[in-house]
Amino acid sequence: MNHLGDLLSAHLDGELASHERSRVAEHLQTCDRCRRELEELASARAAVRSLPLLELPVALSTAIGARPDPIPLRRRPVAWVGAAAAAAFAVFVSAAALTAPEPREISPPQLNAVYGAVSSNEGAFTVVKVAGATAAAGGAR
Amino acid sequence: MNEPLPETWEDVARKHGRKIYNFAYRLCGNPDDAADLVQEVLLRVRRGLADYTPGSFDGWLWRITRNAFLDDVRRRKRRPTSPLPDHTDRMSEWSSPGPDEVLAGLRLGEDIQKALLDIPIEFREAVVMCDVVGMSYEEIAAAVAAPIGTVRSRIHRGRKLLRERLT
Repeated sequence: MNHLGDLLSAHLDGELASHERSRVAEHLQTCDRCRRELEELASARAAVRSLPLLELPVALSTAIGARPDPIPLRRRPVAWVGAAAAAAFAVFVSAAALTAPEPREISPPQLNAVYGAVSSNEGAFTVVKVAGATAAAGGAR
Repeated sequence: MNEPLPETWEDVARKHGRKIYNFAYRLCGNPDDAADLVQEVLLRVRRGLADYTPGSFDGWLWRITRNAFLDDVRRRKRRPTSPLPDHTDRMSEWSSPGPDEVLAGLRLGEDIQKALLDIPIEFREAVVMCDVVGMSYEEIAAAVAAPIGTVRSRIHRGRKLLRERLT
């Protein structure tokens, strides 16, 4: 049996192509392993999404001439509810949540020596060419 | 997807500064580096605005943001990251949770942040773009110049690694 692998994350994010949705739904009905993996992925996803949205520090806001953005980055009703949700991290999300992808509400277009683990696949991190931002690669600070 | 070009650099800062800051903070794990990155990104935007060709402004902005982050990572010497407790500004707007709940939430936030810092950067980046910034797979793919299938795989692997570290 071919298991679902990364289709599970796409399922959680509502990012499956139409032809993949029925396959995923059918498979989940009969595969305990994929259901368990889906629960684990959902808990990790919920944990990251529970992180509070940070305001710009006042000094930075002043330095860049920006007032704090009044528009939420993403749909989060109440920051502490998210934190409470994270507190229940060990409690997995309901079966309904697992089988029905959460629709994206508002989706505003919105190495490890230094910051954490360095991937062995450094080739994946070539700097992207950005039209109109020729200074990007220069990195003068 | 053509989007109107912001009129001024300040418009960009006002509209996108907080998004960039949250992205940067979750990737680097400390407010000082995140603030530096925001300023660097906005500097690059200011330099690039004159040559910007109409298209997806957000896509252009996120490519600049990502490049600035990767350049910064390459440039810096190793130095310990020490995530501070998340700001409580937003929490203070809501009086319901008691002090214990707030503290528990902060501790959990720190654990999650540490777990993020512990996973390879390409996975961390994809997860943060998806679950913190709220970008679609297509938007992430455009920002990191990778196929959507690669983005999907990175998000998936990132979540699996996070799960291992959080249990």
